[in-house]
Amino acid sequence: MVHVARAGRRPAPNPIADDGDERRFCSTCAFGSVCLPAGVDKSALNELHMLVEHVGPYRAGDPVFHHGERFGAIFAVRSGMVKTRLNDADGREQVLGFHLPGEMIGLDAIHPAQYPCDAIALDTVYVCRFSFPALATLAARIPDVQQQLFRLLSADIGKAARYAGDHTADARLAAFLLDLAGRYAARGFAQNAFRLAMPRADIANYLRLAAETVSRVLRRFQDQGLIGVDGRDVELKDVAELRRLARSLLHA
Amino acid sequence: METSSAFDAGLVARYDVAGPRYTSYPAAPQFRADFGESALRAAARASNEDPIPKPVSLYVHVPFCFSPCFYCGCTRVITRDRSRAGAYLERLYREIELIAPLIDRDRQVIQLHFGGGTPNFLDAGQMQELLESLGRHFAFSRDGMREFGIELDPRYADAAYVGALGALGFNRLSVGIQDFDPAVQGAVNRTQSVEQTRAVLDAARSAGFRSVSVDLIYGLPKQTPAGFARTLEQVVALAPDRIACYAYAHLPERFKGQRQIIAADLPDAGTRLALLGLAVADLTAAGYRYIGMDHFARPDDDLARAQEAGTLQRNFQGYSTCAQCDLIGLGMSAISHVGATFSQNARELPGYYAALDAGRLPVVRGLDLDEDDRIRADAIQQLMCHGVLDIPGFERRHALDFGAYFAAEIGRLQALARDGLVVVEPQRILVTARGRFLLRIIAMCFDQYLAASQQTAVRYSRAL
Repeated sequence: MVHVARAGRRPAPNPIADDGDERRFCSTCAFGSVCLPAGVDKSALNELHMLVEHVGPYRAGDPVFHHGERFGAIFAVRSGMVKTRLNDADGREQVLGFHLPGEMIGLDAIHPAQYPCDAIALDTVYVCRFSFPALATLAARIPDVQQQLFRLLSADIGKAARYAGDHTADARLAAFLLDLAGRYAARGFAQNAFRLAMPRADIANYLRLAAETVSRVLRRFQDQGLIGVDGRDVELKDVAELRRLARSLLHA
Repeated sequence: METSSAFDAGLVARYDVAGPRYTSYPAAPQFRADFGESALRAAARASNEDPIPKPVSLYVHVPFCFSPCFYCGCTRVITRDRSRAGAYLERLYREIELIAPLIDRDRQVIQLHFGGGTPNFLDAGQMQELLESLGRHFAFSRDGMREFGIELDPRYADAAYVGALGALGFNRLSVGIQDFDPAVQGAVNRTQSVEQTRAVLDAARSAGFRSVSVDLIYGLPKQTPAGFARTLEQVVALAPDRIACYAYAHLPERFKGQRQIIAADLPDAGTRLALLGLAVADLTAAGYRYIGMDHFARPDDDLARAQEAGTLQRNFQGYSTCAQCDLIGLGMSAISHVGATFSQNARELPGYYAALDAGRLPVVRGLDLDEDDRIRADAIQQLMCHGVLDIPGFERRHALDFGAYFAAEIGRLQALARDGLVVVEPQRILVTARGRFLLRIIAMCFDQYLAASQQTAVRYSRAL
């Protein structure tokens, strides 16, 4: 992280995927589980490490890749948050998703070898870049790498359509917060307190709500004691009630 | 009565040193010229992006005064020519048109304050036009708890004018008195009778204003304990909801108007102390609660209630009951506080006019607070408003280890603890009843810029 060191300062509240070492991948990385099964060939692991490139920092608003750009690599977010989006013919933005530390972006570009969207840093972002030709070659040789790649690909399918149905604003926002909490938990981070790095307009766009509706519902959640909001920091206080509100989406 | 007995003249005298009043941290002398219009625009845009954006507070500065009060340290323009208001309002409207579109419309204005100068330099018609313009460009809250306040000079306002302000939605009035003693009034060039003052306060009450407050100043030329005691008695009889009792800061090299004051007429340090002690004793005996710094309030006033509820805030108007707002300052010399930035408009009319005539926001200096500034601002806010800093909560908010981060500051606080101003415990720092009279001194322990500013000769008023 780029914090000026000062006595007494704890790590920033926004988590960073740990950097791993030559024996294991970052424990928080979506690709890291490749290395977890016992008996992984050490030389294979080394080869995998060889093709990872640390890139960054990107500043808020910087693109990690552009729509239409030739596909050459997939990325894992190391720290910060990345937004994927598309602009329609009229230039209207459609937010496709938010990507947390440890999560992969660019998987949907494998076919037709072009990035189908823009990936934009929402705050200070570092990523790991996996050259795809090299990764594909490695996957052909090492079953664990291939399996993990398939797992990631199938998990990526159908993620985008989640908020397309007919759901109330309460359900959308409750599901959105629980989804983020779950994803932070899956990577081993604190799950009930996190930072919303994205502007509220992006949350609104993603959930297909008006920006003022996002704020109105969050304020009501706060007044009801379901969440606490302090600037961009959110704390989930009544997960059970949020689950109840989100049930139409969670079971969809 | 506990408050007045806690007042310790010897102690207060010992801590009579110069320091900022912490209506902001960092204090205004730290603002920098490299913070300009684009920085303010960026801050305003970013302030819309929080999941729940802050509500809005507006400050409108009316710089004109009909006659100079010699003690005044505000930025003001002395004129009897009322037509000058027209040229000023024209620029104010341009400023409103430039800044309002940067603020999302679902963010309500829950606080509006007119200060000066003399806001009632504007006549009732101009006031109405200005309120209508503000209401068109910003989303005024309709909540009865919104604070719409104005400072008035009762020498130039009648009951009809105050009634008109009430009809426009103002619900708080603040009136300068300083001292009713004719000798003092002569020495500071401000002759104002008890009757004039009462007429304005009565008009405000019958117009439905929720809170009326008056300002006093101690340490003025020719002021005596006997004369000030009479003033306090007359003020208590007027029964305002809040009373501010400020220390006069004699800085003639910085404020030209103060050069009219004869230094030999100023009370000595012992008399100043006696005046402050008198104010504390008489006002608390009359049932006012000491809020902190210069402020007293009746126990049923919003300010006292907010302090009890832990929702009190400190801002450029002193203390406020409003939730944390983004503050937009309009007019010459006005200060804005948007997101983690402070910024100030041009402090003279020509600069203010020129920027707006060129279609630019008239920002001339400001500051983008870094993380350390924000951490210290929070510590100072906790101590000045709530009289207590909860250490575990603070550590969670800022992700730090309090003892390690503030090792030097805790050392400085220990010296104050020996004098009974604060209690330093592992879980909290508590301001004692005695310490509340020296909040500035306590806050100064956390001020990163003080050592540097003493070298560069920034002049602050004295703490008492």
